[in-house]
Amino acid sequence: MVTQDEQWQAQRIAAYAQRKHLSGTTLARWQAWPATDQAALFSLLQDLQCGENHLKDLLDWFEEISARDEQTVADILERRELRSAWATSGSRHDKLKAVKAVLRRIRYPRLTHLEENVRQAVKALDLGRTGQVSFPSDFEGDEVTITLTVRNVHELRNGLSQLQQRLDDGRFQRVFDSLDEV
Amino acid sequence: MYQPTEILIERGEEDAPVVQRALTKLPELPVRVVEKDWEQKEARPADRDPFGAGKRRLFFTRQRARFLEHCPAGTPGLVCCNYLVVSLISNCPMDCSYCFLQEYLANNPTLKVFTNSDDLLDEVAQVVDRQPWKQFRIGTGELSDSLALDALVGFSADLVPFFAARKNVLLELKTKSDCIDNLLTLESRGRVVVSWSLTPPAIADTEEHGTASFAKRLRAARHVQQAGYKVGFHFDPLIEYPNWETDYRQALEQVFTTVDPQGVAWVSFGSLRLTPSLRKVIRQRFPHTRLLSGEQVLCDDGKWRTFQALRVKMYRSLISQLNRLAPTIPVYMCMETAPVWQKVFGRAPGCDKDVARSLTEPNLSYGSASQ
Repeated sequence: MVTQDEQWQAQRIAAYAQRKHLSGTTLARWQAWPATDQAALFSLLQDLQCGENHLKDLLDWFEEISARDEQTVADILERRELRSAWATSGSRHDKLKAVKAVLRRIRYPRLTHLEENVRQAVKALDLGRTGQVSFPSDFEGDEVTITLTVRNVHELRNGLSQLQQRLDDGRFQRVFDSLDEV
Repeated sequence: MYQPTEILIERGEEDAPVVQRALTKLPELPVRVVEKDWEQKEARPADRDPFGAGKRRLFFTRQRARFLEHCPAGTPGLVCCNYLVVSLISNCPMDCSYCFLQEYLANNPTLKVFTNSDDLLDEVAQVVDRQPWKQFRIGTGELSDSLALDALVGFSADLVPFFAARKNVLLELKTKSDCIDNLLTLESRGRVVVSWSLTPPAIADTEEHGTASFAKRLRAARHVQQAGYKVGFHFDPLIEYPNWETDYRQALEQVFTTVDPQGVAWVSFGSLRLTPSLRKVIRQRFPHTRLLSGEQVLCDDGKWRTFQALRVKMYRSLISQLNRLAPTIPVYMCMETAPVWQKVFGRAPGCDKDVARSLTEPNLSYGSASQ
């Protein structure tokens, strides 16, 4: 038995889908959720005004967290860190970015922890503007790229000596170690 | 046991031995004789789950393409083990939620059993008998479970004697079933490896629909080992979930308290890998699965896997456990990159032949000794 509230909710979701040109598949996926979860996501989307691609990410992540943690989407949305990202002041874009960052941290706790550790290890290298360290996407593979950007031989000599020093004091080792730490 | 809803037979194949065997076992089922191109004209079954419904339409037909192929896991960028596959059955009576057949055979309206097993044996003989100096591993478990239908189709009676008679080839029958009765009366001369894909009971019970339980698979492994077969185990897919480490370690321990490590040909590990479109199919067919909730990322070969550092941790943990339980068993990883081999084993194979040799040589020498 569909209640009047649920009917009204379904109409509002359908109207949102039409306004945002959502595909039938994406809408059907959202509508397959329990009514309370549909409504909870709808209130978030009213604020964020996501289109198809962002919405698909959100659907993926909410469903996957929900299955893993055995929690409803409505419950996940009540988590303090998500609430606080949702309450971020700024543009819709800022809010969306903040919400997605928190949601990704919940969805990928160990990967985001590793990213943070690697970021800290690279920061500790303190290479300034001369040196850059980059990694393969999602740390798949074993190649670390170190780039020195210099304008003359003097800068090159300084850059190389800085790298040597970071090698000697173990800070580069820390970067490589952090790639395996989960 | 597998219960099809209908039997279809290609015109002209009604008297094929495999058809006759199956009709004796399933006398009550409706039978239709159809033209050879019936399948191309036939739409997928009208069902909410056409792929699932297709599994229950049993179609006997001739294979007109080649039987023998290179394993598709030999993808550029990944370490390959030079495995060859032959398929006498296309589609599987089981329905694991992660199975790639859901995508690969998505439009398949049936479960096909090929009637010309003699052609397969001729084709294999052409390749292996002409290169007696070369060693081969050939498996039948690529497009179906190797044994799940054996009570019905009895292919093991054709395959086992054929491979047992050859010194330079190992046959691998890969299964998640406990359908081993036919094997127990056949002589393998150490040249047939019966292997089980294993996941801990927590995964087997929820994600591997229609398969034998973990305990039944292990009991079956012990029986075939006692009957003179070598056995193998594939922890593939290796699935990351909250209790993975304890569960997989216990599973490994149970394996080696049940079977004799001396008679184990190999153990493999392979991370769960899913194409983006397979993920979509899984969401549709198994909306409550927890498989998609692991920390998976999109890799260079276009498949989602557990992110590298975590899967390296998983491999290291299980391989070190395996080394404690059974240090001499050949171990390999399926569909992994050289950097991951390097991190897990401390070395990456120089070439594909290195991996293949590490698996065939110890096992084929066992075969000759038993002659």
